[in-house]
This record gives sequence, C-alpha cells and structure tokens, in this order.
Amino acid sequence: MSKCESTRETLGAWLDGELAAGQAEATRLHVEGCAACREERHRLECLQSTMRTVLESKGSELQFDPFWQGVQQRIAQKSNWYDEVGDWFRGAFTAPRLAWAIPAVIVIVLAGLSIDSFFRNAKIAIQPDNLATVESIDAYGRNVALLHENETNTTVIWLYQPQESENDSSTEPSENKPSF
Amino acid sequence: MILLRNLLKTSLLSSLLLLAVCAEGAENGSKPVQVKIGTILASNESDQFDARLKPMERQLKVMKYRSYRLLKEDSQSVPWNDNATFEIPGGRSLAVSPQDSKDKQIALKVRLTEGTKPLLDTTVRLQGRGYFLLGGPPHEGGALVISISASAQ
Repeated sequence: MSKCESTRETLGAWLDGELAAGQAEATRLHVEGCAACREERHRLECLQSTMRTVLESKGSELQFDPFWQGVQQRIAQKSNWYDEVGDWFRGAFTAPRLAWAIPAVIVIVLAGLSIDSFFRNAKIAIQPDNLATVESIDAYGRNVALLHENETNTTVIWLYQPQESENDSSTEPSENKPSF
Repeated sequence: MILLRNLLKTSLLSSLLLLAVCAEGAENGSKPVQVKIGTILASNESDQFDARLKPMERQLKVMKYRSYRLLKEDSQSVPWNDNATFEIPGGRSLAVSPQDSKDKQIALKVRLTEGTKPLLDTTVRLQGRGYFLLGGPPHEGGALVISISASAQ
C-alpha cells in the first residue's frame, strides 16, 4: 500500500480530528507535500461543507411525525390469529425453549405407559374387582371348600370346622354349613 | 457454542429432576401394605342385613345365609414379608403376611388359628383393591365370615 493510499484511508478521520497525535501529524505532513492528497482533502472538505449546509437549512423541514405515527399504529394494531400462532411457534422452537423438549418427551412417554393402569384403577374404583387367586390351602386335615362365583367375582374359602370346638354354638350344629 | 452448552445443561438438569420424581414413585412400591379385615357373623336367626355391609351385599349373599352382621373391622399397615395379627371373636386370630406384588396383584399369606391350634393356612393373590372371604368358624349360633383385603400404599 502506497503512502497516498494509506493517507486517503485516514483522511476522513483526520479531518474529523479522530486520529492520534502522531498519526495526525504524519497525515498532515504528507497532505502538505502531495498535490493529489491535497486535492482529495479539498474535495472532502467541500463535501462536508455542503452536507452541513443542507442539514442546517433543511433539517427543520423534515417531518418525523408521520413516521412515528406509523410505528405507533403498527404496535397498536391487533395481529391476525395465524400471525400470533406463527409468533408462538417461532418463540417455542427457539433454542432455549428446546431445552424443555427432552423432559417433555419423557413425561409424554411415561404418561403413555401409565395411562392403562390409570384407567384400570379408575375401573376398580367404580366397580371393585374381587378377583382373587388361591395359590394354596392347608386346613390341617379338616374339610375345606373353595368357591368362586363368577357373577360377583367372589372367592370364598369355607372351613368346615367341627362343632365341638365351638362351645357357644353347640346348640345349633348345622349353622356353620352354608348352602352355596 | 455457549447457547448449546446452556441448552444441554438445562436439558440434563430437567431430566435428572424428572428421573428423581420417577424414582420416588418407584420407591412407593416398597411401602407397607394396608391390610383390612372385616369380621361378619352370618346366621339364619333373623333376616337383618347390616347396612354397613351394603357394598358387599351381593358377594355375601353367595353364601345363602339370611342374616349378616358386621362384628368388627380392623386395619393395619403391614410391611412386606412381615406379619400382622388380627383378633377374631371366639378366641381366634388371623395372621396376615404380604408376600410379594406382581402385576398389581398382592400375594397374602393367611393363617387362621384357634388358641395355639392352626386351623387353616392359605396363600391368596388379590387383584387391585379386591378381597376374598374366609368363612366357616362357628360363632353365636352362626358362622364367622372374614373379609380380607389389601392395598399397596
């Protein structure tokens, strides 16, 4: 990069007083000794002067009110439902919210797996399920009957206990024999 | 990169929290079993039916007695493989021990004794909140019917 090129890159900043002292002094020395860069400096100064003049004379005529009214109107305007849905989806699927996707999937899977047992329990609560499976019986030599009645799902183990073992029922020996 | 790291951190923490909740639910499986005993006197001396037995009227009437009266109700929280003893009228006792739970069925080991003499040993697997009836011991001119139910807490 030639000295002129590097000077022209910093020329605008030098004119605005933005360069450090050393760099500004080097730019000034080069511009004073270089006709082309002096011409470039002059061109920039003219441009700045013209812009300043225009802004000073016309700035007060600029009408910002319609612009601000438009902005406020767009803020107040009620958007359509599909725009709101679209906004919600855009918000829901941005990266931070996706962090909840994994636990949410786990919850859904667990709910799916347990829904069967939930309904099974609900059914029990409404109509008790008396299903009982007798795995073993030992009556120590006494007679025993096992009854399962399907209509009411009732399981009964009936022990035929000799009457002589029950002192208070000896007067009515037939009372502990059910008629299933 | 930072966003991705935060994303993973949040997911991991949430999943751990969820798994902790699930583990707590699984832990409930080892909690004691609530065993409920109802002692009923079935007889033919009258036609009275105890109103407290209304929910199990159809089940009791399988035994074709004319009268049913609830003598006592008792409930105990029994740890798995432990033993709970219930007093039954007529100097009898009923020992109930929850054995295991498979497919929401609770296996109960039940022993009915009279004094020190064992009358009956049985192992019954109950589904859900179901119950079964153990009857036969004579009492006050009728027969005792014991309803036995168990539910995991």
